[in-house]
Parts: sequence; C-alpha cells; structure tokens
Amino acid sequence: MTPILELRQGTKLYRGVPAVKDVSFDLRPGEVHALLGENGAGKSTLTKMLAGVVAPTSGEILLEGRRIELPTPADALRQGIAMVYQETSLVPSLTVAQNLYLMDDKPFHRLRGIYIAGQQFLQSLNFHVDPAALVSGLGAGQRQMVEIARAVHHNAKVIIFDEPTASLTPEEKYQFFALIGRLKKRGVSIIFISHALEEALQISDRITVLRDGEHVVTDDTAKFDRERIVRSMVGRSLKDELYGSQKDRKARKPGKKVLSVQNLSMGRAVRNTSFSVFAGQVTGMFGLIGSGRTETAKVVAGVQKRDLFHGGNVQFEGRPVRYRVPRPAVLDGIIYVTEDRKFEGFFETMSIAENIYLAALAGGQTKSWTISMSEMKALAQHWAGALNVKAINNDARVIELSGGNQQKVVVATALLQKPKLIIFDEPTRGVDVGAISEIHQLINRLADDGIAVLVISSYLPEILQLSDRLLICRQGRVVEEFEGTQADEDTIMFAAVH
Amino acid sequence: MGYLGRPTQEKIVFALAAALCIGFALFLPGFLTANNLLNLVRSVSILGVLGVAMALVVIGRGIDLSLVATMAISVGLTMQLLATGLPLAEAVAIGILFSLLVGAVNGFLIAYVEIPAIFATLAMGTLIYGFGKYFLFQLDVLYLPDAHRYLLWLGQGYVLGVPVPIIVFAAVCLLAHLFLTFTRPGWYLRAVGDNLAAARIAGVPARPIIVTQYMISSLIGFVAGMVTAASVASMNTRIANSTYVYDVILVVVLGGIGLSGGRGSVRNVIVGTLLIGVLLNGMTIMDVQYTLQNVIKSVILLSAIVIDTFLNPRDEQTAQQGDI
Repeated sequence: MTPILELRQGTKLYRGVPAVKDVSFDLRPGEVHALLGENGAGKSTLTKMLAGVVAPTSGEILLEGRRIELPTPADALRQGIAMVYQETSLVPSLTVAQNLYLMDDKPFHRLRGIYIAGQQFLQSLNFHVDPAALVSGLGAGQRQMVEIARAVHHNAKVIIFDEPTASLTPEEKYQFFALIGRLKKRGVSIIFISHALEEALQISDRITVLRDGEHVVTDDTAKFDRERIVRSMVGRSLKDELYGSQKDRKARKPGKKVLSVQNLSMGRAVRNTSFSVFAGQVTGMFGLIGSGRTETAKVVAGVQKRDLFHGGNVQFEGRPVRYRVPRPAVLDGIIYVTEDRKFEGFFETMSIAENIYLAALAGGQTKSWTISMSEMKALAQHWAGALNVKAINNDARVIELSGGNQQKVVVATALLQKPKLIIFDEPTRGVDVGAISEIHQLINRLADDGIAVLVISSYLPEILQLSDRLLICRQGRVVEEFEGTQADEDTIMFAAVH
Repeated sequence: MGYLGRPTQEKIVFALAAALCIGFALFLPGFLTANNLLNLVRSVSILGVLGVAMALVVIGRGIDLSLVATMAISVGLTMQLLATGLPLAEAVAIGILFSLLVGAVNGFLIAYVEIPAIFATLAMGTLIYGFGKYFLFQLDVLYLPDAHRYLLWLGQGYVLGVPVPIIVFAAVCLLAHLFLTFTRPGWYLRAVGDNLAAARIAGVPARPIIVTQYMISSLIGFVAGMVTAASVASMNTRIANSTYVYDVILVVVLGGIGLSGGRGSVRNVIVGTLLIGVLLNGMTIMDVQYTLQNVIKSVILLSAIVIDTFLNPRDEQTAQQGDI
C-alpha cells in the first residue's frame, strides 16, 4: 500500500542543533497514527515539516508517492494537508461560517449564502455548531470542531492534530474521539500528537515514538501497552509505574489547619466556596475546566485582581487575611506555582541562575539591596542540583530548556521562598514523563516535611496518586470531599460532573 | 560565528557606526581630529542622557512621551526661580521636586489606574507643557540670569580637556548601568519589563517599581535639561512641541532595546547615540540639508531593524505576546 504521506530521512536543524534527525515517517490512507514522545522529542517539528510550516533542512516529502515541496502552510492546504493547532487559529471576531470560508479562493461571499452552505456542511459532519455564532463565544471543544470542519472543508486528505485534547473536558474528549472515527470513515488520514498515552492506545491504529529527535519505533497499536510506550519514550523502564498503586499507600494524617476558606465569592468563577487545607498532607483539588479551581487558588494567593470580589473570608494560620497583590502572600509563606509557566512563571530574558536569584530577592530571602554574584551562583547551584535541572549550565536561558526542566526551575523559585502553604496548579502540564515522577516525588516530600500542599489537577490518575484528601470542584465551588485512598475514578467523576 | 557570537542589532549598529567613522575619516577632511571627535560626542551627549532615561522606562516595558516636556518645564521653572532671586540650591530642589512629581503621576496612572503608558504619558506631556505655559511663565524662552553665569560651566566647561556634557553623559550611563546590574530595584525593573505577571507572583512589588521607573526617568530628564540650559544660557520650552522625543526613542530602538521590555542595557543606548552622532556630524560637515538628514536617519533605523529580523528570525518559540 502506498502511504498517502511520507517523509524520507527528514532532518531539521535549528541554529545547527537538530530538532529532528534523519527521521522517516509514513502515513497510510485512512489510518489514525499517534505520534508520541517526551517534550522536545521532535513531534511538533516533524509535523510542522509535513504541514509546510517549517522547511526540512534535508530529506524529502512524498504525497501519494510523488515528491512535493511545501514552502508555506497554504501550499500544504492546497495539497490536502491541514494542521489543527493547540491554540486555535480561528479569527475570534468572525462567525463560524465566515471562518470556514475565510481562505476560499472566491473574493466575495454572500453572508446568507455561506450561512446556509455552512449549516449544511456542518450537519453533514454531524457537528452541532451554529454557523452564525461568533467564534469568540464558543467553548474550546466547539472551536476545535470548527477548526476540523475547516480542514475538511478544504478537502484535506491528511489532518494533523497537535495535542487536540489538552484543553477539552472529558465530555468534549468523548465527542472528539467519535469525530475522529467519522473522519476516518470519510477516508481522511490522521496524525495525532498527544501526551496522554491512554488516548493514543484507545483511538490510534499505529503508534510512532520519537526520542531526542530520533525515530525509536513504529508499530501497530495492538502491539503496544502503556509500559512499552513509556519505555520507548524515556529509553528506560520507570522503576515504579507512574500512576500505579495508590491503594497500597497510606494517607498522611492532617496536621494543623493552615488555610481555611469560608463562603468565598468572586466574579462568576468562584461562587461561595468553602474548604480547608492542613499541614503535612497533600490536598488534591479536582474539577473540570471552568470549575473555578485556578481562580479560587489565585484569590487565596492574591494573584487574582479583586475587582469582582463578592465577599467571604480567608484565614491563614488562624488569622484573617485578604491579599490584594501577591507580595504580602509570598512574604507570609503562601506560594502559588502557576499552570501557565510561559505566561506567568519565568523570565525569558534571564538565565536559570538569574530566575532563581530574582525569586530570592523578590520573596525577601535575600535582604541586601545590592546584587551578589557569588550568592546567585551558590543559590542556583543548590536549587538546580536539588531539583535535578538538566541544562548545559546555570547560565542557560530558561526558555531554551525542555518543558520539564522549565517547570523544575519554576518549582525551585517557589520552594526557595520557604513556603508554609504551596499551591501547585497543574504541576505536570506539558512536562515529559521522566520529569513527572520527579515532580510527584518532590510534592510528596514537601508534605512529609510538614508543609501544607494543595495540588490542582484535571488529570485523574495524577490526583489519585498524590492526594491524601481530595476536594471536588464544580461550577465555582468545592462540592465534595473524599479521603484520598477511598475514592475511585468513577465516584470522583460523578461528583465533578453532576 | 566565532568569539563575536551571534550578530545582534547592537553589534550591527556598532559595526555600522565604525564603518561610517572609517569612511568619513578617509573622505572627509577635518573629521578625524580630536576637536571634531569631542564635538561629535558633545553634540549628542544630551540626546544620550535622555536616551538612558527613556531606556530605563522601555526596559520596564513602558514608554515616556512626556520626557522632553517635563524636562523643558521643570528646568524652565528653575530658571524662572533663579531670575526671581531664589538661591541656586532651592531653585534646583524645586525643579527636581516638580519633575519627580510628574514622574510619580505618570507612574501612578500607569501602575494603579492601569492606563497604557503611551496614552498616559502623551496626555501628561501636553498637560505639563500647558500647565507650565499657563500658570508658571508666559515666555517661551527662559534665560539664565547673569548672576548665575557660572552654571554655564555645566554646558560649556571642560575637565582635563573633556567637555562637561560628555562627562555628565558618561556618569549617567555608569550610574544607570550599576543600577540595572547591581541593585535590587534594578533587577525588579528588568523583571517587571520581562514578565509582569511572573514578577507579581514571585513577590516583586510591581506597582511601586513602575512608579519608581518613571520618577527616575523624569529625574534624569531634569539633569539633561540643566545641561541643555547651561549650553545655551537659556531653556526654550518650545522644545516640548518638537519631535525631539522621537529622536530619543530612535536612539533607544536603534541601539537594540526591544520595545517589548526586559531586553537591552545601557550599552545599547551608547551604541545608538554614537551612530546618530557620527551620522549627524558627518552630514553636517558635508552640508546635507536638515530634511534630508531626517530621511537618512529613518532609513538607517529601518535598515537596522530589517537586518536584525533577518539575522535573528523569530519563530513561535521566541515570539512573545506584546512584541512590537
């Protein structure tokens, strides 16, 4: 069988450094091909070469056996290769139908005409999206549907998805998988990048694993299991399975009450929520996207602006607090570790050492008004060593590190503040498999040392693995509480959804 | 690329300035004399001092369009007070207080009321100029009283053969560099410019830092204004209505300080100032028309930026929101 799309000996160098080295990849007609690997393994670069976003340094691309050149994404689209990105590329201020017809060759469209045509087209795909709705008003799942519809509308024979499920709720995910099935029936071939191994095992026909820009293995999905994928991804067998036997684990006893939140309300995201966090244990907070977990944590830590504060009390170590900016919270020992490190986690113009030292300056751990380079070096060495940050040296810029190492630097800047309450918001999002277990061990160690730890996550196995106590959020409030060891996935999901 | 490292805009501009220097030295008689070179640097040292003031704000991801107006009015106020017979120390102190107050209001509007810097300082510049002209003095030009002619030393004097304005420029550069590299507030300022959200979460007192950065820029502006006034024995407040502030921004951007904040240092200002200085000096010797000089200046700026985007292409990994 001729592969519909093939890359032969593709290599891509960024400033002389290979992101992808001599990788051959083929996509069969009508298959779903999952592309797996740690962060920095070269998945994105590989697919970008196929979609005309970046040009390969060497190697050739074949479409149905013919050699093709793809100078721009528009050329790729014309050849029938579409890429659906993590961050959607729709125009938010236009309607669904306008977005669908945006890249058409016809210079003018009648609005009514494209609404009717759009409606028929969306129905033929069985998508329930209003073609006259503005894209800015759609949820993440619906936006993705529109992206996919647009790809199909351009007669894409190959659709590449870059982490399509990262921003979807479980329900939307379910719909998305059904959709993949329908696309397959229409004869569309699909490449699918993911971090969630279960998803890949569930919906793909074949799996390719990349590691450090090199091809490791391609095989039928049926011949894979979790263990084999992880082993190929990290090049070693993880000693204890990542999300293994939480049942044998003993829950830590709660220490003294560190944080107590009563009837906190803010804007539309946080509605009259109440909960407590205790020292010496990990309190997990689970909820679907939009359940107000991040917002609640940010109000507690003073990160959120208080424009829409509707009342409620926060008590920290027994005294009422009301932080308007993060600084007093940091000085009191409440540290928030962000879910979005690129946006609000680190300084991209600064090196690892400078990031760490700046945190020490900002949190008052270093008192002096002048900078001490030797103190900076010592601090950086200590923390980069303690958290096993892998970089050429501590003068490397954080932006150049892999996701896992970036996260370790961000965690280091939090830990050096000597927190009494530390809030991890999605601590392993966009982090490679090897670093996930290191971060989990670290979180457990913090709780063992008597620190109050609050972990927010939308990944159930993670929250089950870590939590001694479990809070479930729904529609802006904590609705249920479990002992970490007694809950199972079904009860938790039930509480989070209903 | 060897020990030179990656060619940054700073290096390109420096190379350009050096090339121009060599070219002028070979083909323009009178260019490569000690006198002319000192003149060259002296002529741009006030621009350079203002460039440092602007650079500090731009590194903190802001911009100060009221810089020149504040300078003109606060120094004008000092001249006015001197004319009424107030002692030097008091007149200068009031001028400094006035400029610090303007900086504090700028910073307050930007940090606490959260108005974009470009609008806040644009409005403040017009406001300050109008306020000065209406309430403080009616004249356009305020002369240095004869009793204080010793102040002319600041603009026209020499120390060991070096003109005083150059020494002021060097001192301001040194202080600003030490501030950015070796002090806690300097690091805070860079952090706020690089990533405001991350700086807040880390515990940086972000809003006080923003207020401070505008106060510092106004203060440096006052210094530049005093040197200006001392050079020509007067302060022409109409400078506030000229395009001078854009020349200051030109120096900053030309030197390679990113308007997206966090990037750049005092070195970039020096390089940008030198290029402008060499260019203006050479063109003046060649007797190029003023309007044509402006055209050449802007073409140079555009080419520096274009070359930079070719040599340091941005992909989605390095591109950041707010990148201008």
